Amino acid sequence: MSEKTTLEHFSYDNKIVRDFGIATTIWGIVGMLVGLLAALQLIWPDFNITQYFTFGRIRPLHTNAVIFAFVGNGIFMGVYYSLQRLLKARMWSDLLSKVHFWGWQAIILAAAITLPLGYTSSAEYAELEWPIDLGIALIWIVFGLNMFGTIFKRREQHLYVAIWFYIGTWVTVTLLHVIKNLEIPVHMWNSIPVFAGVQDALIQWWYGHNAVAFFLTTPYLGLMYYFLPKAANRPVYSYRLSIVHFWALIFIYIWAGPHHLLYTSLPDWAQSLGTVFSIMLIAPSWGGMLNGLLTLRGAWDKVRQDPILKFMVVAITAYGMATLEGPLLSIKSINAISHYTDWTVAHVHVGTLGWNGMLTFGILYWLWPKLYGTKLFSTRLANTHFWMSTLGTIFYTVPLYWAGWTQSMMWKQFTADGFLAYGNFLETVTQIIPMYGLRSLGGAIYVLGVFLMAYNLIKTARQGSLIRDTKASAAPLQDIPMTDGVSWHRWIERRPIQMLVASALVVLIGGIVEIFPMLVIDKNVPTIASVQPYTPLELEGRDLYIREGCVSCHSQMIRPFRSETERYGEFSKSGEFVYDRPFLWGSKRTGPDLHRIGNKYPHSWHYNHMLDPESMSPGSIMPSYEWMIDQDLDTEYTFAKIKVLKYLNTPYEFTADEQVQKAINAQARRIAKELNEQGIEQENLEDKEIVALIAYLQRMGTDIQADGVVNNN
Amino acid sequence: MYKYILEKLGDFDWMALFALLTFFFVFTLSAYLIFIKDKSEVARLSNLPLDDCEDLLPQ
Ligand code: HEC
Repeated sequence: MSEKTTLEHFSYDNKIVRDFGIATTIWGIVGMLVGLLAALQLIWPDFNITQYFTFGRIRPLHTNAVIFAFVGNGIFMGVYYSLQRLLKARMWSDLLSKVHFWGWQAIILAAAITLPLGYTSSAEYAELEWPIDLGIALIWIVFGLNMFGTIFKRREQHLYVAIWFYIGTWVTVTLLHVIKNLEIPVHMWNSIPVFAGVQDALIQWWYGHNAVAFFLTTPYLGLMYYFLPKAANRPVYSYRLSIVHFWALIFIYIWAGPHHLLYTSLPDWAQSLGTVFSIMLIAPSWGGMLNGLLTLRGAWDKVRQDPILKFMVVAITAYGMATLEGPLLSIKSINAISHYTDWTVAHVHVGTLGWNGMLTFGILYWLWPKLYGTKLFSTRLANTHFWMSTLGTIFYTVPLYWAGWTQSMMWKQFTADGFLAYGNFLETVTQIIPMYGLRSLGGAIYVLGVFLMAYNLIKTARQGSLIRDTKASAAPLQDIPMTDGVSWHRWIERRPIQMLVASALVVLIGGIVEIFPMLVIDKNVPTIASVQPYTPLELEGRDLYIREGCVSCHSQMIRPFRSETERYGEFSKSGEFVYDRPFLWGSKRTGPDLHRIGNKYPHSWHYNHMLDPESMSPGSIMPSYEWMIDQDLDTEYTFAKIKVLKYLNTPYEFTADEQVQKAINAQARRIAKELNEQGIEQENLEDKEIVALIAYLQRMGTDIQADGVVNNN
Repeated sequence: MYKYILEKLGDFDWMALFALLTFFFVFTLSAYLIFIKDKSEVARLSNLPLDDCEDLLPQ
């Protein structure tokens, strides 16, 4: 035939794959070590070293590093390798590949600098401030251009299912990133979100949940559908199932976000939607897991010998476990127990350590010898790493399940006389510290394994040499005219843009139906007349609370259970949060809920507690915030913040900076005087950050109290 | 008028029904379309990862 004469010769870019591979390894180690530090801080508060590395700032650094740096670079590594080969074309632009690589690393670096400095929007997994958000958008578009450019110049008519997952990922992450980060800048490192309170919460968890879905799951499923067949040298069990997996998954996932807000002030209909769709998610997730595992049917002897396949099998199994557990946690009665506890932390680590981590390791071990034209330096070391990862994951998660369950039971326990059995929250914390110890051990084992891998990969690279480009040849794509016989399905699958539009539509349906009514229907957020905007000083105190990341240990959302109203006071109403930008409901109670902390203690209690928590609560694991006692409050931007809030319809009367400063000084002096009366002596106390923080803490949750009446407890 | 319709949107029953129906539609459509696909074509597609057109390296 004439095929030979029409063959085109080209090459695949391996260097970019290698670079992303190095980045994922390095950031993986960094991100996990930061996680280990955070874990140790929960046992020994002394590990909170200086104001830049306290738990509240370290925790977002850890999550951002492992999600966007470790998994992010892992995604790009896998996509750049598989996309070129599946499309039989080199990446569209080497320059864009380079911009993508260095741009992404620059964003990570910016995150690593700004988060310890306390520049945060406080939205979980979207903490970075607006200039970095813009950078992310830009680099994400570069990635998209490069990907679609490659798709357009492809030499393979059909898009393999992995590419569908990549396209679905790209579209949805774009959408999520833009909507979540609708915010108005105040200055370079501060911004105010457009939505407030309940609405901000709904958008946050629509985003947060789908960040898990479309950053940690769908791209990795694409990688699974490519690298598992590669490593096992056999096609996927059922291609048909993979297609159904794709559409069902992206359709259902987008709805499930509200399961993070069960029993909160979110309207019931939205909570129910979250539950229903979460349970439906079991079907496509398990379809995908079985499809992966069944790919290895009849090859289990191979699995036993090959560490790469072992990593992949455990990764896929962890995917199955996490996606079964997730829907269970979305059932209200189970969520009532698990929410705010370490159970959630254990759950997410089954996914990240098991699914993302181990799939990444499997792919790296498979790729490195290919990229360097050699064999893996040591299969034995890889096997050791496999066991360390598995054991590390078990040691990490099992104690935390135990801790979460134990603590929740203690929170809910009543004595025969109807009192809380553990009225002192701290008791429920010290009880589980040994579990935190085991968890840290698990994490340490896991990250040591990654060091082992890094060594193995370096040795492998040393014994070979990088094949920067792999030569390949294939026939060019022929324009196949549309005939009547061509089905809609083929039509869409051959055309990437249609594919992009279709998946955008599918995810948009969920987003619009679920979120839109919340934003436009007033009755979803009943207003409460006595709820007033924060004073300028309280506003600044709130920003300190945000800066320090108190939200990572404290919730501000009392659920309507007797065990919570007894402990904390009246349950939280959606109308109380209408001026909260951003909302600070939190998702984990390492410390007690703070929504009704206002008026609970005298100012001096807070002063001493912030200076040294153990002085007020012996055995506390809360970090000390001594610098708030010494540092002057910065009020340079208070008026700018108020102007933005006014623009967003917060009813402030201030029209000039002097008025604002006067209000701040008056309230600060009053609080300083009261502190004096309670025995706190300090020079220029009224100028210090601590006064603003106390103003905020004492205001919290008091708007609906009758004058001066302190809540129970 | 349209405000009234939006108010009605808040009713969960309506939303659940709509969501389930669309899901059912998307699900059956994708299942139907993939199952009427030619068997050999599906086989070729699922083999795409194994056929990457790399020129064999000189040994
Ligand atoms: C590492 C987790 C952690 C962080 C971060 C943290 N706390 Fe705490 N917090 C706790 C724990 C644990 C307790 C309970 C023991 C105690 O009273 O110290 C507590 C208690 C409190 C209490 C007393 C609550 C009560 O009802 O008795 C207040 C107020 C408080 N924290 C405020 C803050 C503020 C403000 C920040 C941020 C500047 C913060 N916390 C950061 C863990 C944390």
